[in-house]
Amino acid sequence: MAQKPAAKGTNLSGAVLPQVLWKKTGGNYLLTNDSGHHAWLEEKNFAAVTAGRLPQTSPLFAELASKGFIRSRLDFNDLAAKWKKQNAYLYYGPGLHILVLTLRCNHKCLYCQSAAAGLGAKNTDMPLATARKSVDFAFNSPNPGITLEFQGGEPLLNWEALKGTVAYARKKAKTSGKELKLALVSNFSLLTAEKAAFLLANEVSICTSLDGPKDLHNRNRLFTGGNSHGETLKWLKYFQKKNAAPPPGCRVFKPSALLTVSKYSLSRHREIIDEYVKAGLEDIFIRPLAPIGYAKSLWGAIGYEAKDFSAFYLKSLDYILKLNRGGVVIREKTAAMMLDKIINFRYPGYLDARCPCGAAIGQLAYNYNGDIYTCDEGRMVGWAGDVLFKLGNVFRDAYKKVMSSGLTRVCAVSSNLEAQPACARCAYKPYCGVCPVYNYATQGSLWGNMPSNDRCGLFKGIFETLFAFLKNPGNTAILKKWVAK
Amino acid sequence: MVIRRPKKERNLKKEGNRKIAVKVSLKKYNLNTARYAAYAVSDAAYVFIAPSGKGAVAVEFTLKNGSQVTGHDKSHVTRHTSQAGNYMTAAGNLVRRFREELKDEKIRAAVFDANRDLREFMILKALSYDTAAPPAEQEDSGLTPEQEKELDALIAQVESEIKKESAGSGTKDPLGITRTWEEKYGAKTGRKRN
Amino acid sequence: MKDINEGTKKMILDPGVYCAEAVRLAAFVFSDRAAIRVVPRGRASTAVISGPDAERLAGEFMNEVLNQQCRLDLAKKNSKIAGIIVTKALLSAAGK
Repeated sequence: MAQKPAAKGTNLSGAVLPQVLWKKTGGNYLLTNDSGHHAWLEEKNFAAVTAGRLPQTSPLFAELASKGFIRSRLDFNDLAAKWKKQNAYLYYGPGLHILVLTLRCNHKCLYCQSAAAGLGAKNTDMPLATARKSVDFAFNSPNPGITLEFQGGEPLLNWEALKGTVAYARKKAKTSGKELKLALVSNFSLLTAEKAAFLLANEVSICTSLDGPKDLHNRNRLFTGGNSHGETLKWLKYFQKKNAAPPPGCRVFKPSALLTVSKYSLSRHREIIDEYVKAGLEDIFIRPLAPIGYAKSLWGAIGYEAKDFSAFYLKSLDYILKLNRGGVVIREKTAAMMLDKIINFRYPGYLDARCPCGAAIGQLAYNYNGDIYTCDEGRMVGWAGDVLFKLGNVFRDAYKKVMSSGLTRVCAVSSNLEAQPACARCAYKPYCGVCPVYNYATQGSLWGNMPSNDRCGLFKGIFETLFAFLKNPGNTAILKKWVAK
Repeated sequence: MVIRRPKKERNLKKEGNRKIAVKVSLKKYNLNTARYAAYAVSDAAYVFIAPSGKGAVAVEFTLKNGSQVTGHDKSHVTRHTSQAGNYMTAAGNLVRRFREELKDEKIRAAVFDANRDLREFMILKALSYDTAAPPAEQEDSGLTPEQEKELDALIAQVESEIKKESAGSGTKDPLGITRTWEEKYGAKTGRKRN
Repeated sequence: MKDINEGTKKMILDPGVYCAEAVRLAAFVFSDRAAIRVVPRGRASTAVISGPDAERLAGEFMNEVLNQQCRLDLAKKNSKIAGIIVTKALLSAAGK
């Protein structure tokens, strides 16, 4: 059988590697490529592959060829199709539109990034006219699917504007022919049966925060008006019941919850996950703290290093898989989104991990006064007095002007992994993304400096955990089920 | 590669002495490679690069304070305290990481150079790829006429290159995994237009 | 790297290792963090940095110069692909 001669040294003219990324972990090498394929190689095989000495008859050669790791055996159509599927967002404009209906909030969460104002600050409520103008602006996006997310502060404090906006957006969707999704992020403490009925009738999906058992949740999420944890669980049950038996003619989404990990959470992964299972939730979205907004001033008390989060994440995922093996249905959402890319070559709509990032070109945040920001994190920086990430205002600026602005361009350019020296060489690049707002807030430039960037450390920790789990066939079967849709 | 301590700081046991210098021959590794390898370990140390005689650079590392060598990569995590033993471990780990990065970056650069045109072609092809492939009028690929022209030229170039490479490497392969693109789909001289 | 006094560090950056653009970009990033002055010295650049904990600041500044230098090195090799991806994303978002 003909076999290619080995290339000498690293003169790869006769070698078999096309463009490929790799990372050594333990004694093995993880290989990835632009299309999102991955493969594991033992050290000796890595040396053989890079030197062009891998026999073409070996099963490994066939595996690598089928995944686009052999230069002379590339199936261009397959690789192109996978790349395009994984990068589908490059073909649409912003799909996520965050409306900050008020800055007021009745909670005082330790890690709040939302620039919450006191209950009396009614001047920070978004007038309905501004909300409607924001909806008009959002519908200018060429994206065929528009998601309006109502946020705050606590958006239920501006109920009339919320109600009016929902009705207006539904009407707008009908005339525009676009698909509209509505979402509410709330702490539930101001929810009533009447308001809940309205949300159900208008197919508004519900998301809240659940930080774990009562003591931990209430420690993180200070609520002088009552028991935040109790309110959260009560309304989660309510929406779960409605999901199980929806009112006639209504589509009811399962409610979802986010876990924000503070320093107090780090030693309590089991209790937190058990609390989610007890609450009937099938997803837990484990999110690290970011030193932006209010959390920045309390970082010494509630913050932690990337390695601490990585350890917490590893233990959490391990425990979730153990529960899965026992028949409990629960999955971690960040992992599920990353796995969707790794296993299904699919873009899961995760704006934080894409290239370029979603700032402006994937999402927009509308402040209560109509100011438009690249994203909610950009709005936080604006709240602290630096309006670098402000793109314009819905009353003054046209959509095309905003999308062609210098700020939109610079966010796209600086979050392009092809232009980031560490990312361009990183094995996790096909699945990852950087955040110019985070970089600016923590390192003083939109580009950041990845080797010492904590967000980069967090993501690497997550990917290391995921790929380590994927190496175990028992885990792989479970993880594949998480994204089998 | 020669590891040396800076002349002024021979005594590594001395508290507060956190510097180590590595001389890199530019005959073995080019400057870009040395720079990137140093950059890759800059999570753990402050880096200063200066020429060192003819055809070499000295890469000077100053270990960071506190949890200085806390690389994102757990396999390299070490900690540095003021104790000399710990310092030596941290410094040793840093140099080992740097050495590995040098080797890796040298291979990366060679792989990159060998694949530059191929990769540009693949990204352009993917961007304009029609997954549904319906028999329709010529549609807009989203590329500028200049990019389209470039894509056509690249396709021709890469196809001929791959054909040359794969000539004479037949093998038993019922699934066609090892067949080249043009063997499977037929050689084309231009980008497929639907 | 030289001590001028306890709160000031002076660095002479060789032009063969660090280009002037990388030094300028790093100085711009650092302008909020410390008092920094970059002076051309023949083909080389001299950077003088002052502030509390000047040694650490000088180290961080040198890492930022290296960051910018590696970014410029990469741009020379990769700017075409980087440009294609960003252009596609921006045009799509603008509806073009």
